[in-house]
Amino acid sequence: MTRGQGARRSLAILAIGSLGLTACGGVNGGAEKDDGTGPVKVGISLPLTGDFSEPGKGVQEGYQVWADQVNKAGGLLGRKVELLFRDDASDPNRVVSDYESMITQDKVNLVFGPFSTRLVIPAAEVAESYDMLFVEPAGAAKEVFEQGFKNLFYAAPAVADDHYNYLAEYIIALPADRRPKTAAYASLDDPFAQGTAYGLRDKLAAAGIKTVADEVYPPETTDFAPIAAKIAAAKADIVVGGTQFEDSVGLVRALQELGSQPKLAAFSTGPTLQEFPEAVGGAVEHILSPVGWSVSSGFSGNDAFVKRYKEMFKNEPNEDAANGYTVGQIVEAAVKAVGCVDPVAECQGKLADHIRGGKFDTIVGPLTFDDQGRPEAAHMIQQYVDGKVEIVLPEGSKAQTSKLVFPKKEW
Amino acid sequence: MTLLLQGLALGILTGGLYALLSSGLSLYFGVMRVVMVAHPAFLIVAAYLTFTLHTGLGLDPLLTLPITVPVFFVAGVAIQRLLIARLASDTMAMMSVLLTFGLALIIEGLLGTFYTGSYRSISMEYATQSLALGPVRLPYDRIIAFAVAAVTLGVLFAVLRMTRFGQALRATIQHPEAARLIGIKTERVTGYGFGVGLATAAVGGAVLALITPFFPAAHWVWIGKLMAIIVVGGLGSVQGAAVAALMLGVIESLVLVTVDATWATMMFYIFLFLTLVVRPQGFFGGRLAQRF
Repeated sequence: MTRGQGARRSLAILAIGSLGLTACGGVNGGAEKDDGTGPVKVGISLPLTGDFSEPGKGVQEGYQVWADQVNKAGGLLGRKVELLFRDDASDPNRVVSDYESMITQDKVNLVFGPFSTRLVIPAAEVAESYDMLFVEPAGAAKEVFEQGFKNLFYAAPAVADDHYNYLAEYIIALPADRRPKTAAYASLDDPFAQGTAYGLRDKLAAAGIKTVADEVYPPETTDFAPIAAKIAAAKADIVVGGTQFEDSVGLVRALQELGSQPKLAAFSTGPTLQEFPEAVGGAVEHILSPVGWSVSSGFSGNDAFVKRYKEMFKNEPNEDAANGYTVGQIVEAAVKAVGCVDPVAECQGKLADHIRGGKFDTIVGPLTFDDQGRPEAAHMIQQYVDGKVEIVLPEGSKAQTSKLVFPKKEW
Repeated sequence: MTLLLQGLALGILTGGLYALLSSGLSLYFGVMRVVMVAHPAFLIVAAYLTFTLHTGLGLDPLLTLPITVPVFFVAGVAIQRLLIARLASDTMAMMSVLLTFGLALIIEGLLGTFYTGSYRSISMEYATQSLALGPVRLPYDRIIAFAVAAVTLGVLFAVLRMTRFGQALRATIQHPEAARLIGIKTERVTGYGFGVGLATAAVGGAVLALITPFFPAAHWVWIGKLMAIIVVGGLGSVQGAAVAALMLGVIESLVLVTVDATWATMMFYIFLFLTLVVRPQGFFGGRLAQRF
């Protein structure tokens, strides 16, 4: 309900805004620079409907919590922050026209990124062509950073390939008699999902853990039993899924039904969602997953974020919301340090330079970026222990809440 | 070898599920040339209703059928009488695609409003175990799906073959004008036919909820597969669709265990293409489909 009203309100604002623009077009000739007194407008396109509506909504809520907190604390450079959302329905064409029109017609001061790698690249191309800073919450696949973008930064701890780094270190460091010898991989045909699984696969293969099954399935796959049958037949010691949600559930259920009992099972994304334990029942015990954020990490501002999120949305925040919030934190820090927020190349370039050179305390931990905008940390590893999500890696960090259980309980 | 047998067994079970999910589509097309793009959306509606009744009243997913099936039947009759009957009959196939596409979007939007976009799932204790036949394992949830599909299709077949309503429906399918001449109230029969089609979606949705998690936009992945099945089977032929569903289920599964998942998914479209090139009336379709 509120979403619909919000959309209608922003439409109304849009309409009035464009009227105003036409009215004064004769006077200032549509000057690019804003006068520096009105609200700071932030343009964001997200998949609020369609396949990615769930994570899209999560990111939106993260942005909203951030804007709420900034405005309570007096705004950005003393100006109120106003978020402008567009719904791109996960369509790459719409994401392009959304950013085009927000930059050229709405004259937003800043743009924040959309959700999923598929949309981040086309959106970043638009932002880049208008020299806008582009900090994004979701494009983790390696392709994102190989496009030569100068203003793009990924506001999360690690790129897809590095998600499982801590787990890879843990497995490789196991004593020879306990160390798994074979591994099976199954991944969704998606740059992010494959990135996570293959990052781990390559590290384990280099350490001598043999790959006995390596399956890729298209997003339209509805039946995971035959894939699970292949993995079960390979009798691998560990099973790794480069998954999203349905496929992680489908694979766990099917492996369980087919009597496959790996010593370790890790899946990306799926297990980090609240719905996962309900979907797989008892099989959830000891399943591992990389996670970029945790409720109880104690990182800078995290407790305040969690508290405010719960007040605003009457729900538990998730990683998507945290990533959206992190984008806000980084841009906010840069704007405050540089002292400008104009939608012109000079100011946006300074913001980008500041982010490239700086270190940022965020709710996902301290972040630094390389020249292509890759974050330089790694994901934590979570595990279901006694049915509860615990952070088990990295060993000895302040976020760790429990020790990793290996080998896992049978499912 | 074991893997092939396992693939074959899973393929047969999945094929049964496909047969159930696509049976309604055949019926709509057979009775009134309606291409019902919203059928998978109704499957998801049924899955959500099953979920609500299961979590709210603690009913076993399959025991919700006495509630959902009549509701869907009535909804089907209403949709036919209030919406589809108003389309001009000479452009029925094309217009019904547009109309039901709109319906699917409305349903998806409403589901998102009422249930949010979160994934829902029903996990029953019995749905995670399997029956071991030598080296081959048959998951109970798939066996249940297959059995439900077999019973539903059996009932559907019996209704079409043995009841007066079935005779009237088949007469309406074969020659509406002649049916009217001998006193069949074809409009009413058509409405009931649509209702029966939608009632199969209630059954299909309950079974789907048992097997896989779902969310409001989950219906899109099914449209292509189910449409391919009814074209390969012969548009309008319920039996043809069932045979095609089993065949494609087995082929999908065997290709998956021997080659990979991308080719397995492609099989549906390869067979659709082959059918349209070689035998446009469908491999198992009767005279009916030949008229188009």
